[in-house]
Amino acid sequence: MNSRQFLIRDLLVLLAFSGWALALPSYASEFVVSMALTCLMYVALSSSWGLFCGSTRYLSLATSAFFGIGAYTTALLLGQFGWVETITIGAGMAVVVAVVMGAAVLHLRGTYFAVLTFGMTELIMHAVTYFEKTVTGTVGRVLTVIPENNVIYLTVLVIAVLAVALSITVRRTRFGLALMGIGADEQRAQTLGVNTRLIKIAGFAITAAFAGAVGAAMAVRWTYIDPHAVFNPFIGFQTVLITLIGGVLTLWGPLLAAIIFSVLAESLRLQFPQIYLMSLGLLLILCVLYLPGGLASLRWATFKGWWTDSRDWAKDLKRELSGEKERDKQRLKRREKESHFV
Amino acid sequence: MSITAWLELIASGLITGGIYALVALGLNLQYGLMRILNIAHGEFLMVGAYLTWLVQTQFGLSPLLMVPVAFVVLMVLGVAVHFLCFRRLTATSPNLDVFEARGLMVAFGLMFLVQNFVSWQWGGDLRGYDYLTEPVKFGEAQFAANKLLVFGLALLFSGALIVLLRMTLLGKGVRALMQSAIGAQLMGIDTKRLHPMMFGIGLGLSGVAGALLSMAYTITPYMGQPYTVTALIVITLGGFGSMGGALIGGLFLGVIEALGMHFTNPSLKALLSYVVFIAVLLLRPEGLFTRKGRNA
Repeated sequence: MNSRQFLIRDLLVLLAFSGWALALPSYASEFVVSMALTCLMYVALSSSWGLFCGSTRYLSLATSAFFGIGAYTTALLLGQFGWVETITIGAGMAVVVAVVMGAAVLHLRGTYFAVLTFGMTELIMHAVTYFEKTVTGTVGRVLTVIPENNVIYLTVLVIAVLAVALSITVRRTRFGLALMGIGADEQRAQTLGVNTRLIKIAGFAITAAFAGAVGAAMAVRWTYIDPHAVFNPFIGFQTVLITLIGGVLTLWGPLLAAIIFSVLAESLRLQFPQIYLMSLGLLLILCVLYLPGGLASLRWATFKGWWTDSRDWAKDLKRELSGEKERDKQRLKRREKESHFV
Repeated sequence: MSITAWLELIASGLITGGIYALVALGLNLQYGLMRILNIAHGEFLMVGAYLTWLVQTQFGLSPLLMVPVAFVVLMVLGVAVHFLCFRRLTATSPNLDVFEARGLMVAFGLMFLVQNFVSWQWGGDLRGYDYLTEPVKFGEAQFAANKLLVFGLALLFSGALIVLLRMTLLGKGVRALMQSAIGAQLMGIDTKRLHPMMFGIGLGLSGVAGALLSMAYTITPYMGQPYTVTALIVITLGGFGSMGGALIGGLFLGVIEALGMHFTNPSLKALLSYVVFIAVLLLRPEGLFTRKGRNA
């Protein structure tokens, strides 16, 4: 297939998925719809995260900061503005914060960047908590004006489809190529005439816009929000997790992983929250160790590789335990000695 | 403010700072030597604390006795974790950058695993026991005996690690590995033995810190994460890979927090440490106390 056919295939798959998601509320139970909503939220978050962080390999943990900013915008403004305007403003606020934050920290790479974005998130959370405690005198906020469930579902669906569509198109543009170039070798990209600073800030802002919009839309699901809930670093971790387990560089990996995760989350979380989180951790470790390309990189060859690896390992262990290895060594030594005498 | 009040304030800052330093030293050893940014470090501190609490309440053993036990148990655990996760990671990663990113992810996984295992086993309640709670007087100033003991032991273990790295042949090998991994390997230093051992010692130190903490404070399964973050702040203050810097940075941060909390507002504590952290990381990413080109 050439690149044009790939584009058409991706768009068709996206169309099919969104059509299915659109039809879901009309026949499925409330539980399934709520699960689908969680799933769509993580699809939007992880696709937009992969768009910037996957291709440039800048590991951002600031997703929860943007999510929280969006959620707070809704909490403050939903009475005065319409639904769509509120979400747009929420995304806009996240973009403003992302541009300021990006200008300050995007010259740092690797672990420094990851740790700094995490620190910034915590800083924003504590600043908001402190502000609420001292100025307004409350810790949380109650949302009184709430749109219908269908409206929320539709909004999150639109955001998710936009995020996936954007990552389909961006990887075909000069902007997407520049992001990939930064990920491969930043200095080389710079030498070849890419304005890396601008590109990185723009990419970071796009990620933030989606996280802010999702936060603004999902805030009304909670009805009561406080800083520790909406700035929960876990939202950021889980986004990273889903993207990594699905496959950072792939288009459909995050979607696949988001579906698996939301099913796992909804089925295990209420009865055994700790077991859910433990399996999450275990899955992440196993995935990083044995499947660094993510679920989407899974092929028949991968299974075959695991099979031959474990077979070789078992053979080796058997030889070791039966003492064959030791005898081999001694045989070799004896042979060496003999050849020495000759 | 009187001299006594000042003294008490600074001393309480130093006491928390001692624990910070101990946690940060372990984390710094792992990051400086192997580029493993162990986000789960605080969770292992919590494991040490729970171990001490469990033995103290079940068998009535003195917590002081549990300090070396916690060190050994956590060290064995550390070697096992290194054997299971990071050995394979070193073998499969194409370069150090990739290894660092993947190591961070594995550490995140460990964090989820350990934290939720403990909260699943023992529940999320606050736990604690009484140990040496009577106050000790120094002239006018008063301190709780257990906190003084905690401070003394924290300094002792930090000092022991620094002496180990500075004075012994083993420490020389570790410092050589920090300077240049390939160079050290060419000189015949065995990475395969040193890496698991140092990872284990790092975790062992966090276990000691946990055992010490449980003597003076209440413990929960979620106590680890703030300490991880503080340790990160401390090693940025002192410079990644610099042991003396981590010790001074820990004490320094403890005092700053105590002073800041006294003069402004206790709810500003977390905000304050993050401001210090981000300011240092942005303005002097090589650390406050390091001179360029010199480590450990």
